[in-house]
Amino acid sequence: MAMKKRRYALVIDSRKCINCKACAVACKAENEVPVGNFRNWINESHQGEYPKLRIDFEPEQCHHCEHPSCVRVCPTGASWQRKDGVVLVAEDDCIGCRYCMIACPYDARYFHEESGTVHKCTLCIHRIDGGVLPACVETCPSKVRVFGDLEDPTSRIHELLSTRRYQVKEPQTGNGPQLYYLV
Amino acid sequence: MHEFNWGLLIVVYLFLGGLSAGLFFAAGLANYLEVDGQPAHPRIARMGALLAPWPVAIGSGLLILDLGHWYRFYKLFTHFRWESPMSIGSYLLTIFTLIAFVYAFAWLPEDWRQRLFAKVPATWKQVHRLNVDLSAHRKTIAMAGFPFSIGVGIYTGVLLGAVSARPFWNTNLVAQMFLFSALSSGTAALLLALVLDKRNPVEQRDLKFLVWLDVIFISLELFIILPYLIHGQLSVLAVKQALWLILGGPYTFVFWVCFLGFGLLVPLGIEVYELAPSLLKGRPFHGSRNLALTAAGLVLFGGFLLRYIFVYAGQLSSFHKMGMLR
Repeated sequence: MAMKKRRYALVIDSRKCINCKACAVACKAENEVPVGNFRNWINESHQGEYPKLRIDFEPEQCHHCEHPSCVRVCPTGASWQRKDGVVLVAEDDCIGCRYCMIACPYDARYFHEESGTVHKCTLCIHRIDGGVLPACVETCPSKVRVFGDLEDPTSRIHELLSTRRYQVKEPQTGNGPQLYYLV
Repeated sequence: MHEFNWGLLIVVYLFLGGLSAGLFFAAGLANYLEVDGQPAHPRIARMGALLAPWPVAIGSGLLILDLGHWYRFYKLFTHFRWESPMSIGSYLLTIFTLIAFVYAFAWLPEDWRQRLFAKVPATWKQVHRLNVDLSAHRKTIAMAGFPFSIGVGIYTGVLLGAVSARPFWNTNLVAQMFLFSALSSGTAALLLALVLDKRNPVEQRDLKFLVWLDVIFISLELFIILPYLIHGQLSVLAVKQALWLILGGPYTFVFWVCFLGFGLLVPLGIEVYELAPSLLKGRPFHGSRNLALTAAGLVLFGGFLLRYIFVYAGQLSSFHKMGMLR
């Protein structure tokens, strides 16, 4: 039987974000991210002045793009993409040239000083391959993040993207980002 | 504070790679020029050939040292990825360096070559078989190396220009800019070597050739920089905002005064001033040693600064951070 096609992605409902940073902490604990580096983070933007003002919180991480420029520029093929869309770094082949970090429009990668290689969000493949949600998604108290398979018409993510308005960041780079922000 | 992923080692490497490409090209060109059936600039051809391989060899060493795992550099050659400028560049750089060394070997004076091989143990017979006179093949080797020297000159720019995430770099003009800057730097290095070599008197014919060549390369570089600035201003917002880095932002002074002023226009002015009497009034060329020294030094300084500005400013530019930079 042919393997079912999968395309993993994340939908983010920023309006629910309370900037508690539990996602960032859960990710750091799950993936042993060194102090000073982050695989996911929350952008803050301010508007207006007291008492008429608003603050927006917007979680961000690797967008696991459709046409990832980090994968294209990698000279050894260490940066690669699984068939289900997850963009990964094969550490054994990474020479630490950091070209991918420069090529990422979202600055979503970091250099791991100890290993001398580049690290990034893996969408917690060690968890999702076993049917468990990524750590950031599981821990979010206000359910900002929805993880799922875009190819599965019965999934929540499929429903959200069919019924809600959304946008992606910096589509003009041509990367085809797969982090969908509900508006 | 934005972190720079590529630092001074990369700047120096880009400069040295371009310098070698320029040295090889200018020296190879000199090798082809003849007057009355005799080589027109044998000294320039020899000096350039002997100097060309060293900067790129040192630069490649620095590049390897900059890697997170320097000893994994061999993996660049166990993969070929045509979409990655760095992958293509690694092969280009290696082939060019090899050709440059063979070309330098072909220009080694007979006694130098014999002295070199005298140091190799007699039992190493395979190495001694390399002790051959290649002087008859100089033109062929130069011709084989031309495309690779141009390739290396262009590649250093493409490495940056191909990154669509950095609007400061992402234009095809950067490749040409780096190429002409490389050719000009190589010519200036030859000019410097020519006037600093006190064992032999400077021949005005050689000096004139190099000054001429440098005027051409600097002019071409200028004709790329101006469209880069104009086109950037007329481009989409992200590119316009990226150009702010040199139009009011942190790299404005170093770009306009240090690079464009002292690194490009002043040496161009000096060289045109030197050439003008022979060009306009038909007088014999009388180049000043000190002026040549100053112009060449400034061109090299400018060539280095161009890479410095582009590597650092380019990394600051992005599609989503520029608003925060201002």
